[in-house]
Amino acid sequence: MEPAGVQPLESGVSGATDFPSLLRRNGLLRAPIETNVTKVRDAAILPTQATTILAFKFADGVLVAGDRRATAGNTVVYDRADKVLEIDEHSIMAIAGVPATAWEMARVLEHSFQFFRRTQLQEMSVDGKVRALSKLLRDNLGFVMQGVGVVVPIFATFDAKASPSARLYFYDAMGAQFEAADFAATGSGSPAVRGILYYENTWGKKPLHKIGEDEAVVVALRALDTASEADTATGGIDRHARIFPMMKTVSADGIKTLPEERIAELFHKRVA
Amino acid sequence: MIEEPYRWVEAIATRRDYVETQLSSGSPIIALTFADGILLFTVGQQKLFEIYDRIALGAIGHPGDIERLRMAAIELASTEGFARSAADVSLRRLAYYSLSPVMKNAFEQIYGAPFLARLLFAEIGATPAEDLFLRVEYDGAISQKKSGNKRFAVLAPTKKSAEQMEQFLEREDHGDEDMTAALELAFDAWAAGQKQAEEGAVLPGREEIRACRRERLGDGIMEAVVLERRARSPVQYRTVEQKQLAALSEQV
Repeated sequence: MEPAGVQPLESGVSGATDFPSLLRRNGLLRAPIETNVTKVRDAAILPTQATTILAFKFADGVLVAGDRRATAGNTVVYDRADKVLEIDEHSIMAIAGVPATAWEMARVLEHSFQFFRRTQLQEMSVDGKVRALSKLLRDNLGFVMQGVGVVVPIFATFDAKASPSARLYFYDAMGAQFEAADFAATGSGSPAVRGILYYENTWGKKPLHKIGEDEAVVVALRALDTASEADTATGGIDRHARIFPMMKTVSADGIKTLPEERIAELFHKRVA
Repeated sequence: MIEEPYRWVEAIATRRDYVETQLSSGSPIIALTFADGILLFTVGQQKLFEIYDRIALGAIGHPGDIERLRMAAIELASTEGFARSAADVSLRRLAYYSLSPVMKNAFEQIYGAPFLARLLFAEIGATPAEDLFLRVEYDGAISQKKSGNKRFAVLAPTKKSAEQMEQFLEREDHGDEDMTAALELAFDAWAAGQKQAEEGAVLPGREEIRACRRERLGDGIMEAVVLERRARSPVQYRTVEQKQLAALSEQV
């Protein structure tokens, strides 16, 4: 398909209200498939979210972390995948699922928020952003039913003016959104991670929302290391190649990517 | 009427007069390169807009027409930026290939309504030499300031006002001043464009212009945006805060 690019206008304006429909009109985004398609195979809706991503609220905001492994079946295809993505200055999306669909969704989302700000002359509200992702997931349902394109993301955002400021959402593959009070984890390694985060939050020295940044990094590292212990699709920490999980925080100051050296240091001191 | 060339030319001329009259009460817009990037300045509400990461728009005219053109420009830039990359969004292409033909067509189809708007686009480059200012007229004509060391562009309600502002900006040294000085200069240039000088009168000195700018501002609200050359994020467009502008209007 040829990208549409800039074409002469006929009327001067097309009246698009949202970015995905503008993309569809220009042939840049596929139309949602009817969800009443027959299942290709019974195995089609097996969960194929081979990865682990997690997020929790800590003292400054939200920490989002993800391992770096990308798999195809039993094969590791990539060990430096970036599953924690910045969508705008105060929003992070972490992705579990089929990479092609997930990265495209993140790109559509990022451009949608900017398109909204430019056309409407104001930032999209947190609720609007959360719904926008939900809509993309629902439009993708046809592909999920066919067994291709399952995406189960986490969305974290920080709105200094609202209370609470830190907001965290996770989704199912059909687009239902759930606001998490303290933490969220998705992907094949998530059962172990949920156990750890629940334990830390309930019986740890402090509840998660009171711990500082260093402590938060340690919790995330330990959780991902545990997940990789039992789940082949989760990369955990690769000591040979010195590959560490990707971690970002979102707080009143915006998004910060934690430097690898710092994660490495905390790993050697507190985890290894 | 199309079969009678003379009457068509006459109709176009009448239409031109009509559009010029409609536009003549607008407030001028100034765009200039300064130390940190490009500054766009005007007085009036919501006349400066973000089109894409590196492109800003200032407009004079009917709000409905401005809105249609603005939306068209954003849609085109956004689809291009999504399909390829932000670096492939080009102001030149946007103006020449997409907007100009539409505006020309609307203007010359004398049974339809023309766009009552003039647009000033600014695109920031990696260096000041790569900055681009394009003025798109209601009839689709595009003008670009011929080279020269001083990088600026003005959008004015009348030809006279444009001349005065251009003359003023050519005369004043600028290019590497800081934000405050750039705002001062833009405000003075705006005041120079406001003054309806008598035919053939000499443009007054900067001091004289500055002395009366507060009075010309009246209850008007200043608006300014910046395209930052070294922005931290890919989006280089930023709105100048009102309190920074308020400091400007408090001085004489």
